[in-house]
Amino acid sequence: MSASREMIAQVQPLIPALRRYARAMLRDRDDADDLVQDVLERALGAWHARREAASLRSWLFTILHNLALDRLRRIARRGTSEPLEAVPEARLATPATQESAMEQRDVLALVALLPEEQRSVLLLVGVEQLSYAEAASVLNLPQGTVMSRLSRARERLRRMMEGERPAARPALRIVP
Amino acid sequence: MTDTPMSEADLQAHVDGRLSPERDAEVSAWLLAHPDEALRIEAYRAQTEALRAALDPIADEPVPPALDLHLLDRARHRRAGLRSLAIAASVAVLLFVGGMGGWALRGWTVPPGTGTAALAREAASSYAVYASDEARPVELAAAQRTALDGWFSARLARPIAAPDLSAAGLSLIGGRLVATEHGPAGLYLYRDGKGRRMALYVRPMEVEGTARMTARRESGVSGWTWADQGLGFGVFGSASPEYLHDAANRVRSQFQRT
Repeated sequence: MSASREMIAQVQPLIPALRRYARAMLRDRDDADDLVQDVLERALGAWHARREAASLRSWLFTILHNLALDRLRRIARRGTSEPLEAVPEARLATPATQESAMEQRDVLALVALLPEEQRSVLLLVGVEQLSYAEAASVLNLPQGTVMSRLSRARERLRRMMEGERPAARPALRIVP
Repeated sequence: MTDTPMSEADLQAHVDGRLSPERDAEVSAWLLAHPDEALRIEAYRAQTEALRAALDPIADEPVPPALDLHLLDRARHRRAGLRSLAIAASVAVLLFVGGMGGWALRGWTVPPGTGTAALAREAASSYAVYASDEARPVELAAAQRTALDGWFSARLARPIAAPDLSAAGLSLIGGRLVATEHGPAGLYLYRDGKGRRMALYVRPMEVEGTARMTARRESGVSGWTWADQGLGFGVFGSASPEYLHDAANRVRSQFQRT
């Protein structure tokens, strides 16, 4: 049984976006690519079981999101999550050349401080530009919940960017 | 323009450009009349842009070879193929036991045109074409060995390094990538003290991921083939089969160490 040509033609163009979301979530280039490889292998295996009705993009992002959460929980349990300052910049993203590099690093550092449930909505809608319905299907939530999390995430990020101290909640801890 | 409160969902959808043009115009008009809210919405828009600017370069990076769907798909088929070979083997044994005769076993393990037999033909032709080329036998010379190894590693999607065969009196000339019907293959060329050339040919295997070392003779060129962990090898040259066997053993042990 070959998923082959048809599958590859449809999935290949989405790999860059999958890498971007994986890296934004895991904040490590190698871990993220490893995760995407895992996603692609599962997608190859489950291609024929896929429901045609669901959009391919939300199907792939659903697999990716769930695997990312598994990994983040495992990391949280091991307690090896590195503080952001310790992560070499090159492992996060290609550094921008303009003077906005500082600003971009800042926004990533602040997003990393958001609770995971807000961070994923912000990334799926804002960066990956999934529709609200697609994001709801990826996160397995009602669309109304997606909207309210999106609104809270944006407000929280705005306050942090305006220099208010982030909430006292322990950063980057994932509560299963 | 109206003073009725605007829903938060509409404001968010305005940031994301997800409203109908008519509704979007209404939201814009409402924001003009509510400067505090307009500031807040503008901040959301700015943070979204900053996030995209920070993360979009990741999507512009070249996709690493480990995420090549063709290779992942092939690896999957290789695993599935091994399972069906195992089933074929048990069926063949049953047939044999049933007295159907051993003739049915001939050549069933590996379909023609695949496996190390195919690799032997490719390696011998590559040797014949490139080793005899006086002007340009290789694409990258031994001096660019790091680049050559990196090139092969990327295209064959696994670590490849030119083995050091100086103990067998062979020095690296260089190498090139070769096209085959099974995808790219790497060809390293070596030279012995007498100026004779030897080819080391390497490519991923779809079937026969592990195969023992076998003597080959293809179109007048002798050599040896084997496969280890999904990577197939061929060593071909004009030297004696014994000499080539020694070189092949050295190649194999160096690859097993990596």
